[in-house]
Amino acid sequence: MKGAIASLAALSLILCGCGGGGSTSAGNSGGIGSPTVSPVTPVPAASLNFAVPAAESLSVADVQKIMAQAVGEAKARGLPSVIAVTDRVGNVLGVFRMNGAKATLVTSRLVPDGTLNTPPIDAQGLEVPAAMGAISKAVTGAYLSSGGNAFSTRTASQIVQQHFPPAPTTPGLESGPLFGVQFSQLPCSDLSARFGPAGAGALIGPKRSPLGLAADAGGFPLYKNGVVVGGVGVMGDGDYAFDPNTLDVDNDAEEFIALAAIQGFAPPVEILADRITADGTSLRFSDAQIGGLSPLQTSFAAASVDGALVPVIGYSAGAIIPGAAYGSEASGIRASTAAEFANRDAFILTDGAGANRFPIRAATDAAAVAQPLSAGEVRALLEEAFTVMSRARAQIRRPLDSRAQVSISVVDTYGTALGVVRSPDAPIFGTDVSLQKARTAAFFSNAVAGAQLQSDPDGDVAAFVQRVRDFLKDPLALTGLKAFTDRANGNLSRPYFPDGEVGRPNGPFSRPIADFNPFATGLQVQLIAANLIQHAQFVAGVSTTDTAHGCTNVPAAPGGQRRLANGIQIFPGSVPIYRNGVLIGGIGVSGDGIDQDDMISFLGANNAGIRLGSGLGNAPKDKRADTILVDLGNASVRLRYVNCPFAPFLDTAAQNVCEGL
Amino acid sequence: MIAAALALLAMGAAPAEAPAPVPTTAPTAANDQPGADAEDALLNGRRRPGTQKDLPDKVTQDNPGAVRVPPPEAFYEKAEGEGGGDLSLDVAVPDRWRISSSLCPKGGDRSILSLFPGLANVCHSARDPFHHSVLKGDRPLSRSQRPGFLHGDDWFFIATAISDTVIEPRAFPIPVGNQTTQNPNEIDVFGRSHSLVLAQTFITGVSLLKGMTAYKPPEIEYRLTLATQVNRVTVPERRVLSVKPSKGTTRTDAFVGVQEAFVDYHLGRFDTSRFDFASIRVGIQPMQADFRGFLFQDEQLGVRFFGNRDNNRVQFNLAAFWRLEKDTNSGLNSVTSTPRKDWVLFANLYRQDFPVVGLTSQVSVTYNRNREKNQIEVDTNGFPVRPALLGDLRGRNYDVVYLGYAADGHVGRMNLTAQGYWALGQDRNSFFTSRPARIDAQFAAVEASIDHDFMRFRASALYASGDKNPYDNKEGGFDAIFENPIFAGADTSYWIRQTIPFAGGGRAIAINGRNGILNSLRSSKEQGQSNFNNPGTILAGAGFDADLTPKVRLSGNLNHLWFADTITLQALRNEGSIPRSIGWDASLAAIWRPLASQNIVLRFSAAALQPGAGFRDLFDQSGSSKRFYSVLANAILAF
Repeated sequence: MKGAIASLAALSLILCGCGGGGSTSAGNSGGIGSPTVSPVTPVPAASLNFAVPAAESLSVADVQKIMAQAVGEAKARGLPSVIAVTDRVGNVLGVFRMNGAKATLVTSRLVPDGTLNTPPIDAQGLEVPAAMGAISKAVTGAYLSSGGNAFSTRTASQIVQQHFPPAPTTPGLESGPLFGVQFSQLPCSDLSARFGPAGAGALIGPKRSPLGLAADAGGFPLYKNGVVVGGVGVMGDGDYAFDPNTLDVDNDAEEFIALAAIQGFAPPVEILADRITADGTSLRFSDAQIGGLSPLQTSFAAASVDGALVPVIGYSAGAIIPGAAYGSEASGIRASTAAEFANRDAFILTDGAGANRFPIRAATDAAAVAQPLSAGEVRALLEEAFTVMSRARAQIRRPLDSRAQVSISVVDTYGTALGVVRSPDAPIFGTDVSLQKARTAAFFSNAVAGAQLQSDPDGDVAAFVQRVRDFLKDPLALTGLKAFTDRANGNLSRPYFPDGEVGRPNGPFSRPIADFNPFATGLQVQLIAANLIQHAQFVAGVSTTDTAHGCTNVPAAPGGQRRLANGIQIFPGSVPIYRNGVLIGGIGVSGDGIDQDDMISFLGANNAGIRLGSGLGNAPKDKRADTILVDLGNASVRLRYVNCPFAPFLDTAAQNVCEGL
Repeated sequence: MIAAALALLAMGAAPAEAPAPVPTTAPTAANDQPGADAEDALLNGRRRPGTQKDLPDKVTQDNPGAVRVPPPEAFYEKAEGEGGGDLSLDVAVPDRWRISSSLCPKGGDRSILSLFPGLANVCHSARDPFHHSVLKGDRPLSRSQRPGFLHGDDWFFIATAISDTVIEPRAFPIPVGNQTTQNPNEIDVFGRSHSLVLAQTFITGVSLLKGMTAYKPPEIEYRLTLATQVNRVTVPERRVLSVKPSKGTTRTDAFVGVQEAFVDYHLGRFDTSRFDFASIRVGIQPMQADFRGFLFQDEQLGVRFFGNRDNNRVQFNLAAFWRLEKDTNSGLNSVTSTPRKDWVLFANLYRQDFPVVGLTSQVSVTYNRNREKNQIEVDTNGFPVRPALLGDLRGRNYDVVYLGYAADGHVGRMNLTAQGYWALGQDRNSFFTSRPARIDAQFAAVEASIDHDFMRFRASALYASGDKNPYDNKEGGFDAIFENPIFAGADTSYWIRQTIPFAGGGRAIAINGRNGILNSLRSSKEQGQSNFNNPGTILAGAGFDADLTPKVRLSGNLNHLWFADTITLQALRNEGSIPRSIGWDASLAAIWRPLASQNIVLRFSAAALQPGAGFRDLFDQSGSSKRFYSVLANAILAF
């Protein structure tokens, strides 16, 4: 198994000695100046249920101050670092490299027994330019946060490991609720926008993240007047890792440097991760506390003697640019027009010229499906899911009893995005993730799933097919006989099966616990390994070819659509969609609690089916993954389908709202 | 998670030795000397040296069938145990414990029974526990029955053997397994609610004591009591009985706990001529901090100095306890585990007939010192219990002082029990803020009752404060150390008997404890730390006891429960606006004692919880039923 991953690990060698500067990239980006403020932003109609975030953005002076504060703290701590600032939609507003800062980082090889995994597997042990880590951390702070929750890379670390939260007290408990989210916003994502020349489309978001989302402390969101305006990431120690123990209080220099950076742009205390609980466990914003900071240095001029702004291939031309105001046409995410979507609360992705990037459309898979999804059906699915969301009680937002805010995507069986909508203040990360989830459900429920994976030339992708068939003792697994939600797929993608049960071997899509860490999630990484390598080589300046607009080397569907064009996702929040027992697509939801995401997709499909009466809806009960009982020899363990949340709605005290459906 | 902790009913019901007075049960006329204060009042039926009321009427005894006093010739020749069974008529009775049975035939000659037919009523097998028996401490050990190093003829041996059987069908909100479910189509948080507990406990004990008994407290006592329990629990869902999702839904467990192992030494130099005493007791022993077990009622390892003064009108306890770890599924003491880093110091004083005749007052200071910050304890079923899976999950130390006042007795015809506590101290790490927090919480409970003929009518009220702001530096939720409240229906009541898992608000956290009334959000009543970030408890209820016959008692209770403040629940569930009402708790219990003694006690009770708005906001069950029930069938057979 490990041999198959060598191609990825070998990246370290390729990148050694090439430095992280990538100083020849300017030609790639042209001269970036101030972005044009879009004149075409529609004024949102009176919002029914959601407040639209105020138009706030980071100015050049703001970015300079943030960088100066970080540089001052880094200097005081003797840790020259790379500091990246992004806006809310992921545009890199500047990267500052301090003199003497480590040019590269290495993704962690730390595994649960406390040793460094030898040889490393999947995405462990990669040496890449340090700026990729700094940018990924900044994007993580910006993307995971909203006006209702402020999450950091430390928060991310808590929710992506084999037990939630990672701590000496928790072995045996389930994995983190967002297990696998680190492999989203990928450089190869077809949804995520890329750095481009100045112009109306320059600041279109959401932008991709060079290493996905980060779990290494030192990435925070930035706020102005309670509105998320971006994120800051600090990479200094060269160790791009995660926190294996939530209980202790880390003294992490990168986190202190980032904490200094956000002074003046810190989130309101009421929405910090510390105030948000998952199953009664508080999340954590920062172990670093303000009391531990040195006197703030706010002068960018003073900071400039300690380093300089640097260009980063594929991300920044070097000069500081002002951020886009989230919600504007220029930001790539704006309020929908009445023609685009019936619900006047909805936001959509836009191209900077006023055109919806993912307009509602009919399915493209008529060659494979007798009666594909019509545009009207896609619209009904999105509308019904949006309505469920509007009624749902948020699980990760303050104040209490806020409405859930998510992104919703619908795909056909080819993985073509048939529509993407979101609520005004849904966390950005969920945009890409909702599409990942929809595609994952549609793909693994598809009759061609096994054959497609077996045809993937990358790494050991093909080998996973036999592993899952052996594991389920079912040679017909992955041939479309069962409906797989992302929750079910996630069950098979954990380093323990059943999830969290110490002493049990891994699920067939995952890795043995001895090899596991958040950089080694098995099939999920192998599918996009080649894309990651290609992109890292591009950013490092080793190669001039960036990764394709569309992940994985799974054979394309007829018509050229990549079925998993932004990678797969392995935490809950999607269902496949059926018509009279035949798979016709998938719906994915991301942005709130995973049970809420499950419910919005499941009830969205259910309610759309009732409304349409066209036979469309959830999978028949006898087809659902929770009819699969895995024989473990001395025990049998059932996969799960979805899990709808407790006290789900704000307008009724009803419980168990999915029961019987 | 659901610790099938079986209350050791027989033991739990017995009040702590000596000072703690049993709640007054018989109605007694109040002060019948108007104007006299409590000190001077002479109670009906009581005498006091130096105080003489009118002489009572002459008593004429007419006792048909009774054994007549034997004539002087009718005594043994030698001391008991040396006579070899010969009946001689010229020896004194060896001791007063044998007066009644000294004439019983020994050996084959039963002719005396024809002389004195009534004698058969006092002549029974030595192994018959229901009559005078050496095994039950009714008669002292003879020289031949005791080892030589036990000097004196006043050593008693008491053997205890109790069988306690519990059959308990019940329903409570049970979340489906997170990682796997027992059945397909379980796609919501709450699964089926029905569950069954079977528990069989054998309590076996020996006690050796020296003393005159009856009037004077024993000079020394050695006691050892073991409880052996086999329990079996069946639930409908995975990951309820074990942290491992692959485990099934039935769990059988067994445990032997050491519930008593102590030496009680009577400090004779403090004796008074009226048998006031002082005693020191070392080892695993029962301790009840107050009349009703609100704060601490347990068998724990400790040293206790206790006694009484002023003709038993003043009683006192000074005690220090080092808490033993408890077995998860039986709730019994685990002496093979390292004791917890948790200590309790007690100081209390009881005063009878204060402030009014018939009422006993208690003042107490209790200090609980917990130093478990750096320990990780995982219970038998794999669930972490210390630190609890709440908030920041970090370990914590705390110091709490409970200032208490209690009253028990009657005022006029009204029976009254009242208890107040004020908990003050510091939690070194509030799990909400990761900072130290001041503990400032209050508790009050009152139960009043009136007896009418064979009926007793009760009214109960209880208030335990709830925390009002999770994120400030004060913890205002009242929690006890180890409660076992005998109040408002006790374990026949749904809320006191059943544990409600805090689904969605805390993993391996319960709203309330087994045989507990406080909504304390602990990981476990037995193994968890006290938690003062809790929503508090309010109860108001009424009930009755009806002694239908000397053998049959029927009791009923109707309680309404509320949370005092749901803000902590809201924060932990990320769910605002949770109403305070828990709901109505109705219960009915019948106790049948076929022998009119405590040797056979059969108890059957049934309780139902009709959820209120707050409970419905928090919990549910699959199916259409909204109510939850608790049935308890309990048989206690005592040797």
